[in-house]
Amino acid sequence: MSLKVSDLVGGYSQVPVLKDVNFDVKDGELVGLIGLNGAGKSTTINHIIGLLTPFKGSITINGTGLNDDVKKYKEQIAYIPEQPIVYKELTLKEHLEMTMLAYNLDQDQAWERAHQLLKLFRLDNKLDWFPDNFSKGMRQKVMIVCAFLTNAKLFIIDEPFLGLDPLAVNDLLNLISERKKQGASILMSTHVLDTAQRYCDRFVLLHDGKVRTEGTIEELRKLFPEAGDSLNDIYLTLAREGDAS
Amino acid sequence: MKQLFKQRLTTHLKEMMRYLRLVFNDYFVLALLFVIGGLGYYYSNTLKQLHTGLWWAPIVIIGILLVSVQLGRFATLIEAPDYVFLLPREADLYHYLKSGFNYSLSIALSIQVLFWILLMPFIQVTMHVTAIDLYLLLATAVLLKTTWLNTDFARKYHLKRRWLSSRFLFRLLVPVVSFGFSIYINYWIGLAVALIALIVSWVSRRSWVTRSLDWTKMISDENSRMHTVYQFFNLFTDVPMLQGSVKRRRYVDGILNRIKLIPKNTYLYLYGHGIVRDNEMSGLYVRLLVIGTLLLVFVKGEMLPIFLSLLFIYLIGFQMIPFYFHFSDNAFVHVYPITDKYQLMSFQRVLLYLLTTVGVVFAIAVVAVNYTSLVTVFGVIIGEALEIWAFIYVYLPRRLARSERIR
Repeated sequence: MSLKVSDLVGGYSQVPVLKDVNFDVKDGELVGLIGLNGAGKSTTINHIIGLLTPFKGSITINGTGLNDDVKKYKEQIAYIPEQPIVYKELTLKEHLEMTMLAYNLDQDQAWERAHQLLKLFRLDNKLDWFPDNFSKGMRQKVMIVCAFLTNAKLFIIDEPFLGLDPLAVNDLLNLISERKKQGASILMSTHVLDTAQRYCDRFVLLHDGKVRTEGTIEELRKLFPEAGDSLNDIYLTLAREGDAS
Repeated sequence: MKQLFKQRLTTHLKEMMRYLRLVFNDYFVLALLFVIGGLGYYYSNTLKQLHTGLWWAPIVIIGILLVSVQLGRFATLIEAPDYVFLLPREADLYHYLKSGFNYSLSIALSIQVLFWILLMPFIQVTMHVTAIDLYLLLATAVLLKTTWLNTDFARKYHLKRRWLSSRFLFRLLVPVVSFGFSIYINYWIGLAVALIALIVSWVSRRSWVTRSLDWTKMISDENSRMHTVYQFFNLFTDVPMLQGSVKRRRYVDGILNRIKLIPKNTYLYLYGHGIVRDNEMSGLYVRLLVIGTLLLVFVKGEMLPIFLSLLFIYLIGFQMIPFYFHFSDNAFVHVYPITDKYQLMSFQRVLLYLLTTVGVVFAIAVVAVNYTSLVTVFGVIIGEALEIWAFIYVYLPRRLARSERIR
């Protein structure tokens, strides 16, 4: 059991956005967090990475809660935010060094890995450039390279596909499955449902701050036989139902 | 982590030095010397007329000490991307923040000493004090400031006991009580109150350093601190880092909603909402309006009020001019099917509203103070009307045409 979110009630101010959210991500599993804009995907993620504190409920990573042991909890996470965020005054190379420093990585090994990743995302000739001037897609790639440089046990990836070129999307998915094989758990929020359907092991469908349903695609099909075959169809049906009720 | 702070501090200080060099150029230093000399002379003259037993002197002392304790904020030098890049090192960040705390403390304490030195002659003239009392007062200010900063440190964590970061308690209540005891009763008691507050705040550190950090608050605190610093520098030079912050200001909606939604008014809509909600612009406008009005209330004379109100209207109008280009980086305005002709007309209309408001307020102030002098009353009204007209319809188009050529 890697990530476990239990009875999470939370949000930004006093008004809860999330109401009793429960789900988990097991070792070596890629879970897709699916929901409309404003369903609570990013709020859930902000709770997991510790930007927000739960009003009620708990979040544990391999049994450790955030306030049990901040160090142990946070060391296990690598996070790719929805909006790439980079240091204005640091070059790409310095961003990588910053990551190595923060995750206490072995310099030689990390650089070897960094060069592979940079080549993969065609950033290898831009080491001395400032990512702040990159396009959104390229800054997104910087965030991906930094995250996959680490040996984190839990990857939190918030809507990674927007702005990425198709090649990069494919490479990212390969990286994710590689890490899965090594036993890491991945939580990914996304709107790109057909990609999610092909790669995620399980889905958590959020609607209006609640988990509408969760399970593998087969389980979802069984639960909603009349909805259709694809995740897209199932989700659209659920979302409309949710709005109607 | 300590290394990281050192690195950031070096870059930060370099940046500050660059701006300070711009601020303290030769002319400004010369002007400042005169101002300081003048104020010092005024201060020493005033002191000669004071004596012990003035009822308001203790209140002034407490007030000034209270202001002094508020100065010097907690500089964390945290940057927005830190919450992603330093996420795994959050537990070690305490050492980083501690370096920031020590740095901020050293600056804040120097400020306390400076204020204490400035205040010392005043206290000696108006109160019965011994040298020991004065040192006790300094110690109290130092303890209170340390507590103040420690509270701000606690604020950066997700606290279990929220009162530990209560700004009302540690920034206002405790200092007021402590200085109150010092000045009115006994300096030892004031010091004791400050010491107790510090011990409470300091001992509680152990309970929150192990908790998780409130990144959102930490980043927004640091941004607002830097914003204040940049705002100060922006008075003297252009600061590119200063991105305007925006406030909703619902209470102006009534006026803004009167703009008719027709294509001709596109820019009117943009400029109207923009100027009101952009803190830089509306702040400047309100500040100058208030300062000008206050000045006019206190100034009497035949020609001086007219001259002052005209000067302030010109200043306000002049500061608003760059806003004309505020939206030119926005792709939308270039895509909209509207002509430039309306842009100038809309801007003129917004300025007309703003400057007329200023004119009316100034005129009321001037008339209320100088209603006996008909020359001043009519001079102000006619002068303002002429100036506003000339500024908006004669000067502004030319000035904008020139700026447009340079851009």
